[in-house]
Amino acid sequence: MNIGSSPFDETEEEDYYEQQQQHMSLDRSPSPRLSGGWSSPGLTTPHDGAANLSRGPSPSKRPNGTPRDVTWASAKAASARVNGYPSYTSQNQGFFSRHMRKVSEALPYFAHGGQEDRLREKEKLGRGRAGPGGSGRGLRVGDMARRVALLLNRRRRYAALLMLAIVGILLWFSTPIKYLYRRTSFLGGGSKFVIILGANQGGGVMEWKGAREWAIERDSVKNKKRYANEWGYELEIVDMATKKRYAHEWRESWEKVDVIRNSMRKYPNAEWFWWLDLNTFIMEPSYSLQSHIFSNLQATTYRDINLYNPLHIQHPPNGTSGDPNAPKFANYLDPIALSATGDSDPNSINLLVPQDCGGFNLGSFFVKRGEWTDRLLDVWWDPVFYEQKHMEWEHKEQDALEYIYTNQPWVRPHVAFVPQRKINAFPHGACGDDRGVPEGGCGGLDISGKEPKGGKEKECGVQGIHYQEKERDFLVNMAGCEWGRDCWGEMYNFRELSMKLNRNLWEKFKDWWDGEDEEDVKKKKEGEKKEGKKE
Amino acid sequence: MQFPYPRKTSQPPAYQPSRASTFQRRRTLRNLAPYIAGILTLILLFVYFLRPSTPTTTRAPPGTPPVVLVTTLDAKQSEHYKANIIENRKDYASRHGYSTFFPNTTDYDLMSGVPSSWSTVPAMRHALTLYPHTPWIFYLTSTALIMNPSQPLDLKVLDPRKLESLMIVDRPVVPPDSVIKTFSHLKGERIDFILTQDKEGLAGGSLLLRNGEWAKFFLDAWYDPLYRSYNFQKAEGHALEHIVQWHGTVLSKLALVPQRVLNGYTKEVAGSEEGRYQEGDFVANFHGCARDPKRNCEMEMKPLMVRWQELRDGEGRR
Repeated sequence: MNIGSSPFDETEEEDYYEQQQQHMSLDRSPSPRLSGGWSSPGLTTPHDGAANLSRGPSPSKRPNGTPRDVTWASAKAASARVNGYPSYTSQNQGFFSRHMRKVSEALPYFAHGGQEDRLREKEKLGRGRAGPGGSGRGLRVGDMARRVALLLNRRRRYAALLMLAIVGILLWFSTPIKYLYRRTSFLGGGSKFVIILGANQGGGVMEWKGAREWAIERDSVKNKKRYANEWGYELEIVDMATKKRYAHEWRESWEKVDVIRNSMRKYPNAEWFWWLDLNTFIMEPSYSLQSHIFSNLQATTYRDINLYNPLHIQHPPNGTSGDPNAPKFANYLDPIALSATGDSDPNSINLLVPQDCGGFNLGSFFVKRGEWTDRLLDVWWDPVFYEQKHMEWEHKEQDALEYIYTNQPWVRPHVAFVPQRKINAFPHGACGDDRGVPEGGCGGLDISGKEPKGGKEKECGVQGIHYQEKERDFLVNMAGCEWGRDCWGEMYNFRELSMKLNRNLWEKFKDWWDGEDEEDVKKKKEGEKKEGKKE
Repeated sequence: MQFPYPRKTSQPPAYQPSRASTFQRRRTLRNLAPYIAGILTLILLFVYFLRPSTPTTTRAPPGTPPVVLVTTLDAKQSEHYKANIIENRKDYASRHGYSTFFPNTTDYDLMSGVPSSWSTVPAMRHALTLYPHTPWIFYLTSTALIMNPSQPLDLKVLDPRKLESLMIVDRPVVPPDSVIKTFSHLKGERIDFILTQDKEGLAGGSLLLRNGEWAKFFLDAWYDPLYRSYNFQKAEGHALEHIVQWHGTVLSKLALVPQRVLNGYTKEVAGSEEGRYQEGDFVANFHGCARDPKRNCEMEMKPLMVRWQELRDGEGRR
């Protein structure tokens, strides 16, 4: 034990000096050499080794039979030092040493530094007891572990082991555990969401797909798969190939309703079903649906269609022909159906659609399982409606939904709208040109219907349509790209942009190392954008 | 003898219960506290996450009538006739604590060229709005008379067990050959729509509708402008048959009951005896008298109207 000259408690000062002096005076025995033996000149003899060997089974003989240079004399001296009459006071006396000992006990290696040699000698002499010191000199892993173990009492040891095991398991299985947590309905709630991706649209017998179409499909599917895996959602990829079943029937390309219904049957415990067209790309996979929308439906959605009403749907409905001279009971509807916001309870929202410049957009929308949804899916397609309107309804089920929303008052209290940029942002070129955001951004997608930041000329608030990189919009829907735009080019650019925006620290560092500073990135991106536009 | 250890004494000390001192107890408590707290937190978390959603049932205010009778009155009919009909309904309603509602067929804004008979649908929707807590709506056409007012609808058909015994299952919705048949395993509690069938199809002259979200959906879907403009031959009657056959969410709420329970015909058009009104039946329906220009409802109804008045007055005298 090495007593340092560090400051210590004043009251014990005298004690300490006394002890120190005592120590000094008594500790005059020859000091041990590192190699063993003693430095006193007269005691070493040239015959040491032979004498040692000749004395039969030498206590210093190790099991492997290698004799060490320990002399009888030195052993005796050491022995006397340990077993004989204590020639010096225990080091354990006095406040300071006691406490230092306590402290130093916690440090496994240095704890018995002062006694190390003595113990080692002792063992060599064959009196080896299972001392706490062990025989090794220097730091050895096993040694240290044993010391730690000895320092702990049994219960603590078990607790520590358990903790270690738990931490180990958690680390080792961190990915599956995170996934499980996010999936479990009462924890992360991921299994309550089903993403339905309509793949292979118009494929099958109608049209051969080229390399670009396949590439679009591959990228889109991969993107959704990753997202679903990240958050523990269900992913249902449906083959929308024009089936023969529909080819000669009235219901041509109305499969969306059937597909949603099938998914509801397939995932009986899921709550929300998210329809996604193939030409969509999730730009920010780090947004969960819960945090993005569903944890706070009241604040992320709006019910009153008058806030943003590209179709000029009359609200409140009066269920009439729209004749202003309607008879006296024209408004025979209940107050909830007449209210612009239904019952204003977010739990009654069953359908969540974005509106683009031309009305509802079903490229990305949510339905909630429930009786209301069953009814809606049931009346969505009707032969009488179809017979009268199929020439007029260019967008088929989208127009039909708008029609039902307009004319059947039971629908409205359960429909809510999402600002389009929240789940269905368009690229530049769809629904007109990108109007950009004002200086300093929009500050969130305001749904209050107040004059948005930057006025009507910008992409803020409920009228925002186009994807804004600065605002990190969630999803891009390349709607209508198959008519005169380049689907694959857009998909590629957005994929690259998403990857760039979501680089991790290491990748950012690498890019920085490669000398690609912000300016370069910007230039490169703009170049890409221009290219994209050209295409 | 020498023993290495002191021997046990022959008189052991009196047994003392090993009661832990307060200090020890406190220490064990302190040691256990984190575990207990942890378990409690877990339980609370579970309770929090697994708690059932709060039911949002609104209690009906006292004095809510259990049934509302709805009859739409045609402006073309004579005042005397209308008064008789209203009297007939009110008599029945007052016996059982029901309410009545008599809108005119012209009250609602049907589109131009749409038969006025369509007004029955918004009239029912209107009744739902006026009586939001009333569980049932009873619609009876103005060409029908309540002949036997003694039994409340509850006993007659609304009680789930009674309804289950009356329900006609697995019957083509539109006789004789519709492939859509009424469901065979329906619970009385889950029925929202009760009506009868005559020889030609569903008889919409007398029907019961349970108030609720489904009723709103059903009436709004039925009243859709595209159905009104489609020129169904029998207007709302055919539209009803159409939605029942094409939409499962409607069919699954519908129960057919024998015709005479709700809707006995005085003159069977298709010549069946099954649905023919007999003395003592609940309702006598002069079906088709308003539609057919050769018939006159008031004249046809006169004998039974007199008979009903006789019965009522005789009852009062007794």
